Amino acid sequence: MAMHRFDLIRDILDKQLVDGNGTEMGRIDGIIIEVRDGAPPRVDHFELGFTVLAERMHARLERWFRAARRWSVRRTTRQIVPWSAVEEVTQHHVKLDLDAEKTPAFDWERWLRKHIVHRLPGGKPEE
Amino acid sequence: VKKATQLALGILTSVGGFFDVGNIATSAQAGASFRFQLIWALLLATILVIFLVEMSGRFAAVSGKALPDAIREHFGFSFWFVPFVILTLTHFLILSAEIGGISFALQLVTGIHFSWWAMPVALLVWLFLWRAKFNTIENSTSLLGLITLCFVVAAIAHHPPIHDLIAGAIPTLPQHDAPKYWFIGVSIIGAVLAPYLFYFYSSGAIEDEWDETYIGVNRGISFIGMSFGALIALGAIVVAAMVLAPRGIEVNDYQQAALMLSEAFPYWGFVLFAASMGIACLGAALEVSLSMAYATAQTFGWNWGEDLEPGKDARFSLVYTGAIFLSALVIAFGVDPLKLTLLTMAINAAVLPFVTLPFLLLMNDARLLRERKNGWLSNAVVVFVTILSLVLAVVSIPLTVMGGS
Repeated sequence: MAMHRFDLIRDILDKQLVDGNGTEMGRIDGIIIEVRDGAPPRVDHFELGFTVLAERMHARLERWFRAARRWSVRRTTRQIVPWSAVEEVTQHHVKLDLDAEKTPAFDWERWLRKHIVHRLPGGKPEE
Repeated sequence: VKKATQLALGILTSVGGFFDVGNIATSAQAGASFRFQLIWALLLATILVIFLVEMSGRFAAVSGKALPDAIREHFGFSFWFVPFVILTLTHFLILSAEIGGISFALQLVTGIHFSWWAMPVALLVWLFLWRAKFNTIENSTSLLGLITLCFVVAAIAHHPPIHDLIAGAIPTLPQHDAPKYWFIGVSIIGAVLAPYLFYFYSSGAIEDEWDETYIGVNRGISFIGMSFGALIALGAIVVAAMVLAPRGIEVNDYQQAALMLSEAFPYWGFVLFAASMGIACLGAALEVSLSMAYATAQTFGWNWGEDLEPGKDARFSLVYTGAIFLSALVIAFGVDPLKLTLLTMAINAAVLPFVTLPFLLLMNDARLLRERKNGWLSNAVVVFVTILSLVLAVVSIPLTVMGGS
């Protein structure tokens, strides 16, 4: 059931994100709103990533995460998802019109799959 | 038909989560040192766990969410972070204790020191999770788990005095060794109310695709599954009381506990004990490792599911992989499994409020559960468990020092 009016913090922040195929692709770790002259503020985009979460805990933690970036396989420290990519909002998830595999949210997933899982016995799917 | 086979989830949860290394250790100690006097602790914990397991199943069936998922979503990351870390560390200790239990069972049979078995056991647990689907794990563990019924058979064979059994169901003050009495009492409750049970059961319900039509089934499963576990633990207390107590054997290591079935089954007793212990701990090890992976994946919103190929949820699969081998390392270094188990059971009781408090709020959220939200009785039980575990947390730490050693 799609929702059309909701509370940003209660219903959107920390919610599960799924891509167009229903694959879980992280959670909404941060929400950025834009204040405009003469118009109500509007939600510009969401942010995803450990750095965003670290920032919610403590500023120093966020600096550490940013410094650790050089060892990360992730393309960006914070992935930005524009509101325009949102397909629907339900009680269960926020569905995006994206392919998770191609987004930075799956950078680690793809790296671990290729470099670790596929090298372990039985980690490669049988053809 | 599918719903009938779901009983397997209940029995798996109970063989793994209820009757595990903690129950073997605490039941053997309780029976050996205090005969039937601590049966009340087991009964109390069983009633409480039936309620809590029913709630976590109902929550998953109605809201379509497992517990860690819902807690992060509803209370936010900053709230969930500290409990998440504490529970992960607790799960890590429990997993070490379970791997220690399997390794010790192998030591009993082979005579090779348990520390050598830690890594092969870790490999076995890992292979199981890596290759098998959720259903296979569920069904094989519950089927193999039936072997633990040998404790019940032995208990009946010993013709325990029924009058004393019933008297043990009523809490009484100890005549000797008060710190030890309370320490074992706390450990029994901690062994039954293990926090991962609720994460596992609710995530398992999502894996099995439960919906609102499973409410009745869930009620039956939690009652039958948990009673099954309690019956076995009761059997173990009775056997220890009939065999170990009269000889003045206090269980200070698993070797002594292993003697308890030898009287009822002269030739097979030792092997049966080792097999029961190995299988119960294997079920629990599978369950704890999965719970750790479930909780981590749900906290960060990763794709997860034991039915997926490891390549389809690499991060989920690598969380349990890492957890299994790291916790096996503790045993490989020779940490005594029994001491570790008893310490972990007391910690279990102490961290329980981190599980029950958010749970209490979620179970009363009408937006999630509508008319299926908690009634007064269930709420009273959760509040009682929270208070009980807070009290236990305060007393269990000094008791660990006085009674545990």
